[in-house]
Formats: sequence, structure tokens, C-alpha cells
Amino acid sequence: MELTDKNFEKEVLKSDIPVLVEFWGSWCPPCQVEKKILAKLEEEYNGKIKICTINIDRNPKVTFKYYIKGVPTYIIFYNGKIIYRDIAAKSEKQLKEMIEKAINRINKIVNMNY
Amino acid sequence: MKPHNAEKTCWNCPAAILKGNVDFRACGQSVEAIRKRVEREGILIECARQPDLGRFEPTITFEECPQWRLTEYGYMLENMRVMILGIDGYLGWTLALKLGRLGCEVSGVDNFLRRRCVKEKGSMSIVPIASMEERLEAAREVLGIDINFREIDILDREKLGRFMKEVKPEAIIHYGEIPSAPYSMVDCDHAIKVQYNNVIGTLGLLFLMKEIVPESCLIKLGTLGEYGSPLTGRPLFEGLFPADAVLIWGGREWSLGGEVTPRDPLSFYHVSKVQDTFNIYEACKYWWLRSYDIMQGVIYGVHTDEVAADPRLRTRLDVDEWFGTVVNRFVAQAILGMPLTVYGEGQQIRGFIALEDAMECMTRLTSSPPEPGQYDVVNQVSGLHKLIDLAETVARVASEKFDIPVKIQRVENPRVEADVHPYEVVSEKLPNTFGFRPKVTLEKEITRMFELLTQPEIKERLKRVAHLIRPSTWWSGEKRVAETIEVYTPGTKRVGGFQPVLITKREAIVPVSKPVEELEEPIQVLAKDDPPKKKTAKKVSKRNGAH
Repeated sequence: MELTDKNFEKEVLKSDIPVLVEFWGSWCPPCQVEKKILAKLEEEYNGKIKICTINIDRNPKVTFKYYIKGVPTYIIFYNGKIIYRDIAAKSEKQLKEMIEKAINRINKIVNMNY
Repeated sequence: MKPHNAEKTCWNCPAAILKGNVDFRACGQSVEAIRKRVEREGILIECARQPDLGRFEPTITFEECPQWRLTEYGYMLENMRVMILGIDGYLGWTLALKLGRLGCEVSGVDNFLRRRCVKEKGSMSIVPIASMEERLEAAREVLGIDINFREIDILDREKLGRFMKEVKPEAIIHYGEIPSAPYSMVDCDHAIKVQYNNVIGTLGLLFLMKEIVPESCLIKLGTLGEYGSPLTGRPLFEGLFPADAVLIWGGREWSLGGEVTPRDPLSFYHVSKVQDTFNIYEACKYWWLRSYDIMQGVIYGVHTDEVAADPRLRTRLDVDEWFGTVVNRFVAQAILGMPLTVYGEGQQIRGFIALEDAMECMTRLTSSPPEPGQYDVVNQVSGLHKLIDLAETVARVASEKFDIPVKIQRVENPRVEADVHPYEVVSEKLPNTFGFRPKVTLEKEITRMFELLTQPEIKERLKRVAHLIRPSTWWSGEKRVAETIEVYTPGTKRVGGFQPVLITKREAIVPVSKPVEELEEPIQVLAKDDPPKKKTAKKVSKRNGAH
């Protein structure tokens, strides 16, 4: 899903499940091509984690708020909080490792709350 | 199914005024006033074509916008202002007529350098071409197209800039380069001439675009030869590595997706194109320009509906060793009764595209501009062929349809290139993103060429340049006519080498470019002193080697 300043809060911060957001720029070729991998992961992790992208030039509010200084930047949100953050293009394997790491962290948080 | 560009929005449209409305942060050039306004109001832009709209959100799709109308090539911007650099050339003139006929407002510049370069080598276009005045008049009279032409050298930035300010092009097609590998290898002066014209001309253009038309799209002609032919057999991706490419080194892994792929140019001319590629890539990154870099295969042919509409509208056709591309040369030699000259083994594989198909690709790309700052590359090719196979095809058409008997001759290869090599080319974007389907088969275009070039007037011209077809420009710097290795009758030679692979849609298993002839048994390498074995080892020479 492509996010905007307008729907970011609803789709990300108020999401019931974790959300991976890729911050991208149209002038960044690695960002452009990585969309294919993200689309694949979206299907693979359906229901476990939501995968979204947001263009930094078109959505300055969110971009400024999260202090994006390089693309692609990946942030995984859960319950409106940042669980994981990384920068620089990733291979499919690296993205999966990142997601698994974040899900483990989230599981720990959930268990602690119980 | 919707047209290929229906979902594109104002962000892709050259009429959208972004400068001053968007805080372009790519290089940290944050403009405080814009940033604050955008934070308050969101991004609002203006339309250069419809100022009455005021400031609005850039979310209108091409399908929704009244400025974009549906054509057979997708949505086209109504009366789109397209400037063609090198409009007098083989491709420039042909595209000018096609776009003009589609309703574009075509402007163009040329300094007739190509005509002079060809003349300098003692050659000429074998299809007679009219003067620019006559061409413009014929375009008006026959096709109803008004082309705004200006005689300008693109190295003259002041003049070019003035013309750009006057026209405000919404797309710029850059064909204004010297397009010849052998010409760049003649000597030092020629290498410098080619690189200076091509590299400095394009660099100057990028600065002008930044100042005058930053929202315009640059569609720049590169060449498939920028990549070379890697002997690893690695596919030639479309300029940038695909998403799933990774680099594994020292047990660690990195994504290569989106990075510029390696280039291994084949001559100083090809080097100029590689330098252009990097200059354009950087300009897009620094200034939010947008560009398609076209890695075009070897072009051939004479036909589009527009150039065939009147003899005065014909585009040029060169067959000499410097400016004639291989299919064009073969057809000329066949008509002249000369053997078709194949360089070296003739197992070299190249990508090809017919003139008519190439023009359709350019039209589709023009209609579908990239996003701000986006640099993208397409491999513009409709088929891969071994040179020796091409010679066979030309010979077959010559004998079967025109009753012209033809021989093929292998001559020394004056170039430094692999004669035998694997070759895989990825060309997924034009068919899958831009809706392009090749319409012209090799045989069809070759037939059209025979029909045109066998006309008495053209055949006479061919005779006058016949001595300039066989190569005499060596990459080593030597100046001598390449000698014959063998002459044979078409259809009598077993063709070896590698099987080319053109990938237009990636499936789960990608075929591999592999030797045509699989080994039946391992090659035995015998030492000089070894007693001869009863079963003689099969000699397989030059299959994998570059020479």
C-alpha cells in the first residue's frame, strides 16, 4: 500500500498489526526496484505484518516527523511505536531477517505485558 | 485492459509545475519557505497548460486529465511540444514525422554534422535525401505537419538555450550524437571529435534543461553496446540491476537492486555513450531531472508509413563501413552482387530492432514520462541474432524473393571483440510497462529494403559507394582493407557458437545462453609426448575464447 501524509496515522499508527514502512524517493533507483520484493513479501506475510511505502518528497509531514535523512529507510511500527529502524536497500533475505527480528521483539513486548 | 500510462499522474506530467511548489530534499536543498507552506497546506502544484486550475493536489491521472488524449500508443499529451536534437538524422527525421502525425508540436535542431561526417569519408546516403528546406515543405504538403526547425550545433549552448526558452519543450529526444564505432576508431582526431560532440553536447544540454525546462523528460539514445558482451554470460539487465540481484562476498550479502550495472563498451564511441549515461544519472539525482536512457540494439531498415509517403520524406540510409549498420550493409552488398562480409567467426551476437519498431518504442516512451528525479533505462531490442545467421537470412530473401544469388565471405575482424560469446539480454520494460509488441519481422524489413534499394536510381548510388563497404578501419590503428578468410555458399556452413537468449518476461526458470553444440564427451588434452589414443579427441576450437 502506498501511504500519504493523510492516511499515515490510520494505516500505520492505528494498525492492529505491525507495519513495515519503506520511505522512498523517485530519484532513488534501488527504492524503485525494491517495490517488487516488497510486493512479494506483502503476500507472504499477509495478516502478520502490513507492508507499505511512502514517498518522502510528496509527504513532507511524515518525513519530517520521522527524521528521514536517507532512502530507502525502513521503519517497523507496532501500536504507534517504532520497533525497528534501518537504512539502505536490502535483499529479500535481509528484509525477511529484519521482519522476523521485529516480530520476535514484538512478541517479547506482548508477553511482557501479559 | 487500460492503456500502459493511464494511471500516471501529475507527478509524471511535464505540464505540472513542481519548481517552487515542492520542497525537493534529495540533496538536502530544503527551501524553508516551501517547507513551511507544504507542512501547512500539503503539496499543491500548478498546471502550465491550465493556469485557471490554480493550485491543486497533483493526483489527477492521465486518464482523467483533459490534456491527455487516447491514441493507439497510450495517452498522449495534446499537442505535446517535443524537441528532437539531431532531427536531420536517420532516426531523428523519421521520429519527427511520426510524432508530428500524432499531433505533437515538433521542433528540432541539427547542424548537419552527420551529412558532413559521411561526406568526409567519401560516402553518401544511398537513399537520396532532400535538403532540410525541402523536407519541411514536403512534411507540410504531404502530412500537414509544421516542424519548427533551427540550424544549431548543440555545443552552442547559447543558441540552443534561446531556442529551448522559445519552445519550452515538454519532452526532448536526444539523437544529436555521432553514431559510429568505426568512425571513433579512425584516429585520435576522430575519437576526440566523437567524444567531445557526444559527451560535452549532452552535458551542456543537461545544464540547460535544469535551468529552462526541469519538468521536461529527456529521452536519450544510448546503445546496447554500452554493456559489451560479458564472457561470464551474465545477462545484460536494463541498465540497473533487478530487485533480486545480490552480491555475495566473504560470506556476506548485499542487495544490488537498482544499482547501475557494469559497462564494458566496445569502442571510443561506446565510451562516449557510457559517459553520457553517468552524466544523465547524476543530473537526475542532483536536479530532479527525469530521463529514459535507451539502450538500443543495432537498427536497420527503411520503412515507416510517414517516410514512405513521399520520396522527399525519405530518411537517410548509409551502407559504408563507418555509418552503415550490419543489416543495411548486407542488403547493399547483395544488391551489388558482392559477397556479404562477416567479420571474423561471424558468431558475434547482437540485439536488433527495425526502424519502424524503434519509432514505436520512442513514441510510447515519450507518452509516458518518468517521475521527477527518475533515471530509468530500457533495452530497446526486438530480436537477437548471430551475424552469420543474419547474412543467411539476407541471402535467403535475396535469392527466394528477388532472384539474386549471394555468397557469404568471412573477412579478418578489424575490431577488438569476442567473436564467440554467450549473450543474454533482458528487455522486459518495453513489452510489460509500455505495451510494446514488435510488429516487423527481420524478413519483412529486409524485403522492404530490397524493394527500395533495387530501384534504378538508388542502385546507381549504391555502385558509387560499393568500395566503402568492406572494413578498413582497424581498432589497432592499422589502415588496410580486411582480407578474406573464406567465401562460401549460404546454407552450406554449420553454425556453431552460442544460442542467444532474449528475456522479455522472466519466468521461474530463465534459459541460459549456451553453446549450440553440446559436447558429447570431455575434451582430452594430450601432451606432446603422449602416445596417440585410439579414439581421437574431438577438436573444439574457439568456442569459448575471445580473440
